[in-house]
Amino acid sequence: MNVYLIAATALIAAIAPCLVVCARGSVMEAIAALELCGTLTTLALICLAEGFHRQAYFGVALVCSVLVWIGGLVFVRFAGRLK
Amino acid sequence: MSPFNLAVTALLAAGVACEVLCALGVLVMRGPFQKLHYASAGTTVGAFFIGLAIVARETLHAGGAVEVSAGGLEVLAAVCFMFLLGPAVTILTARTARRLEHEPVEITPAELERGS
Repeated sequence: MNVYLIAATALIAAIAPCLVVCARGSVMEAIAALELCGTLTTLALICLAEGFHRQAYFGVALVCSVLVWIGGLVFVRFAGRLK
Repeated sequence: MSPFNLAVTALLAAGVACEVLCALGVLVMRGPFQKLHYASAGTTVGAFFIGLAIVARETLHAGGAVEVSAGGLEVLAAVCFMFLLGPAVTILTARTARRLEHEPVEITPAELERGS
Protein backbone atom coordinates (compact mmCIF):
# COMPACT_ATOMS: atom_id res chain seq x y z
CA MET A 1 0.00 0.00 0.00
CA ASN A 2 1.65 3.24 -1.13
CA VAL A 3 0.54 6.88 -0.90
CA TYR A 4 -1.11 6.78 -4.32
CA LEU A 5 -3.36 3.87 -3.37
CA ILE A 6 -4.24 5.61 -0.10
CA ALA A 7 -5.07 8.78 -2.07
CA ALA A 8 -7.21 6.74 -4.49
CA THR A 9 -9.07 5.16 -1.55
CA ALA A 10 -9.77 8.60 -0.05
CA LEU A 11 -10.99 9.90 -3.42
CA ILE A 12 -13.30 6.92 -3.90
CA ALA A 13 -14.63 7.41 -0.36
CA ALA A 14 -15.32 11.07 -1.19
CA ILE A 15 -17.81 9.89 -3.84
CA ALA A 16 -20.18 8.77 -1.04
CA PRO A 17 -21.35 12.30 -0.04
CA CYS A 18 -22.00 13.05 -3.72
CA LEU A 19 -24.13 9.92 -4.04
CA VAL A 20 -26.19 11.05 -1.05
CA VAL A 21 -26.85 14.38 -2.79
CA CYS A 22 -27.71 12.54 -6.03
CA ALA A 23 -30.25 10.42 -4.17
CA ARG A 24 -31.84 13.12 -1.99
CA GLY A 25 -31.33 16.47 -3.73
CA SER A 26 -33.18 18.26 -6.52
CA VAL A 27 -32.31 17.59 -10.16
CA MET A 28 -29.83 20.47 -10.48
CA GLU A 29 -28.24 19.65 -7.12
CA ALA A 30 -27.83 16.06 -8.28
CA ILE A 31 -26.18 17.20 -11.52
CA ALA A 32 -23.72 19.36 -9.58
CA ALA A 33 -22.87 16.36 -7.39
CA LEU A 34 -22.59 14.14 -10.46
CA GLU A 35 -20.02 16.51 -12.00
CA LEU A 36 -17.88 16.22 -8.88
CA CYS A 37 -18.34 12.42 -8.95
CA GLY A 38 -16.84 12.35 -12.45
CA THR A 39 -13.85 14.44 -11.36
CA LEU A 40 -13.27 12.22 -8.33
CA THR A 41 -13.47 9.08 -10.48
CA THR A 42 -10.94 10.44 -12.98
CA LEU A 43 -8.50 11.46 -10.26
CA ALA A 44 -8.93 8.12 -8.49
CA LEU A 45 -8.12 6.29 -11.75
CA ILE A 46 -4.97 8.41 -12.15
CA CYS A 47 -3.87 7.61 -8.59
CA LEU A 48 -4.63 3.89 -9.05
CA ALA A 49 -2.56 3.77 -12.26
CA GLU A 50 0.37 5.41 -10.49
CA GLY A 51 -0.09 3.26 -7.40
CA PHE A 52 -0.03 0.02 -9.41
CA HIS A 53 2.86 1.27 -11.63
CA ARG A 54 0.85 0.64 -14.80
CA GLN A 55 1.34 3.49 -17.29
CA ALA A 56 -1.19 1.98 -19.69
CA TYR A 57 -3.95 2.65 -17.16
CA PHE A 58 -3.48 6.42 -17.51
CA GLY A 59 -5.32 6.13 -20.82
CA VAL A 60 -8.42 4.98 -18.95
CA ALA A 61 -8.33 8.16 -16.84
CA LEU A 62 -7.92 10.31 -19.96
CA VAL A 63 -10.93 8.68 -21.65
CA CYS A 64 -12.91 8.99 -18.40
CA SER A 65 -12.23 12.74 -18.16
CA VAL A 66 -13.52 13.29 -21.71
CA LEU A 67 -16.62 11.11 -21.23
CA VAL A 68 -17.46 12.76 -17.89
CA TRP A 69 -17.35 16.17 -19.55
CA ILE A 70 -19.57 15.06 -22.43
CA GLY A 71 -21.93 13.32 -20.00
CA GLY A 72 -22.22 16.51 -17.95
CA LEU A 73 -23.17 18.49 -21.04
CA VAL A 74 -25.81 15.94 -22.03
CA PHE A 75 -27.36 15.80 -18.54
CA VAL A 76 -27.56 19.59 -18.33
CA ARG A 77 -29.00 19.81 -21.84
CA PHE A 78 -31.85 17.43 -21.02
CA ALA A 79 -32.40 18.81 -17.50
CA GLY A 80 -33.15 22.16 -19.13
CA ARG A 81 -36.24 20.60 -20.73
CA LEU A 82 -37.77 19.57 -17.39
CA LYS A 83 -39.76 22.74 -16.84
CA MET B 1 12.11 9.94 2.19
CA SER B 2 13.84 12.32 -0.26
CA PRO B 3 12.77 15.99 -0.51
CA PHE B 4 11.34 15.28 -3.97
CA ASN B 5 9.17 12.43 -2.71
CA LEU B 6 8.12 14.58 0.23
CA ALA B 7 7.06 17.40 -2.11
CA VAL B 8 5.11 14.99 -4.32
CA THR B 9 3.38 13.47 -1.30
CA ALA B 10 2.53 16.94 0.04
CA LEU B 11 1.00 17.95 -3.31
CA LEU B 12 -0.98 14.71 -3.43
CA ALA B 13 -2.23 15.19 0.14
CA ALA B 14 -3.23 18.79 -0.61
CA GLY B 15 -5.15 17.68 -3.69
CA VAL B 16 -6.96 14.87 -1.88
CA ALA B 17 -7.79 17.21 1.02
CA CYS B 18 -9.27 19.71 -1.45
CA GLU B 19 -11.37 17.00 -3.08
CA VAL B 20 -12.68 15.66 0.23
CA LEU B 21 -13.49 19.22 1.35
CA CYS B 22 -15.34 19.85 -1.92
CA ALA B 23 -17.32 16.61 -1.56
CA LEU B 24 -18.34 17.62 1.97
CA GLY B 25 -19.22 21.10 0.70
CA VAL B 26 -21.48 19.61 -1.97
CA LEU B 27 -23.17 17.56 0.77
CA VAL B 28 -23.61 20.36 3.30
CA MET B 29 -24.40 23.45 1.21
CA ARG B 30 -27.97 24.28 0.26
CA GLY B 31 -29.17 24.92 -3.28
CA PRO B 32 -27.60 24.13 -6.65
CA PHE B 33 -25.61 27.35 -6.92
CA GLN B 34 -23.75 26.90 -3.64
CA LYS B 35 -23.13 23.24 -4.44
CA LEU B 36 -21.77 24.23 -7.86
CA HIS B 37 -19.11 26.40 -6.20
CA TYR B 38 -17.70 23.34 -4.47
CA ALA B 39 -18.11 21.05 -7.49
CA SER B 40 -16.22 23.57 -9.64
CA ALA B 41 -13.44 23.93 -7.06
CA GLY B 42 -13.07 20.14 -7.07
CA THR B 43 -12.64 20.21 -10.84
CA THR B 44 -9.92 22.88 -10.74
CA VAL B 45 -7.99 23.21 -7.45
CA GLY B 46 -7.84 19.58 -6.34
CA ALA B 47 -7.25 18.30 -9.87
CA PHE B 48 -4.40 20.80 -10.30
CA PHE B 49 -2.57 19.62 -7.17
CA ILE B 50 -3.03 15.90 -7.89
CA GLY B 51 -2.12 16.33 -11.56
CA LEU B 52 1.00 18.31 -10.64
CA ALA B 53 2.06 15.59 -8.21
CA ILE B 54 1.61 12.74 -10.70
CA VAL B 55 3.17 14.62 -13.65
CA ALA B 56 6.18 15.53 -11.49
CA ARG B 57 6.47 11.91 -10.39
CA GLU B 58 6.28 10.66 -13.98
CA THR B 59 8.65 13.17 -15.61
CA LEU B 60 11.25 14.19 -13.01
CA HIS B 61 13.85 11.65 -11.93
CA ALA B 62 16.81 11.45 -9.59
CA GLY B 63 19.55 13.99 -10.28
CA GLY B 64 17.13 16.45 -11.88
CA ALA B 65 16.77 14.49 -15.12
CA VAL B 66 13.57 15.19 -17.05
CA GLU B 67 12.10 12.35 -19.07
CA VAL B 68 8.74 12.93 -20.71
CA SER B 69 6.77 9.68 -20.69
CA ALA B 70 3.50 8.73 -22.36
CA GLY B 71 1.90 8.31 -18.95
CA GLY B 72 2.93 11.78 -17.87
CA LEU B 73 1.50 13.28 -21.06
CA GLU B 74 -1.78 11.41 -20.64
CA VAL B 75 -2.15 12.63 -17.05
CA LEU B 76 -1.31 16.17 -18.18
CA ALA B 77 -3.93 15.95 -20.94
CA ALA B 78 -6.60 14.58 -18.58
CA VAL B 79 -5.98 17.23 -15.92
CA CYS B 80 -5.78 20.08 -18.47
CA PHE B 81 -9.05 18.85 -19.99
CA MET B 82 -10.77 18.95 -16.59
CA PHE B 83 -9.14 22.23 -15.56
CA LEU B 84 -9.91 24.15 -18.76
CA LEU B 85 -13.24 22.69 -19.90
CA GLY B 86 -14.82 21.83 -16.51
CA PRO B 87 -15.89 25.45 -15.88
CA ALA B 88 -17.84 25.39 -19.17
CA VAL B 89 -20.11 22.65 -17.79
CA THR B 90 -20.37 24.53 -14.49
CA ILE B 91 -21.51 27.72 -16.26
CA LEU B 92 -24.02 25.77 -18.37
CA THR B 93 -25.36 24.01 -15.24
CA ALA B 94 -25.73 27.34 -13.42
CA ARG B 95 -27.56 28.91 -16.37
CA THR B 96 -29.91 25.91 -16.59
CA ALA B 97 -30.58 25.99 -12.83
CA ARG B 98 -31.24 29.70 -13.06
CA ARG B 99 -33.67 29.18 -15.94
CA LEU B 100 -35.51 26.45 -14.04
CA GLU B 101 -35.84 28.57 -10.90
CA HIS B 102 -36.54 31.95 -12.55
CA GLU B 103 -37.72 31.95 -16.13
CA PRO B 104 -35.39 34.64 -17.59
CA VAL B 105 -31.62 34.23 -17.22
CA GLU B 106 -31.10 38.02 -17.17
CA ILE B 107 -30.77 39.93 -13.89
CA THR B 108 -34.12 41.12 -12.54
CA PRO B 109 -34.53 44.77 -11.36
CA ALA B 110 -35.01 43.53 -7.78
CA GLU B 111 -31.71 41.63 -7.88
CA LEU B 112 -29.97 44.63 -9.41
CA GLU B 113 -31.33 46.78 -6.61
CA ARG B 114 -30.01 44.58 -3.82
CA GLY B 115 -26.71 43.80 -5.60
CA SER B 116 -26.84 39.97 -5.65
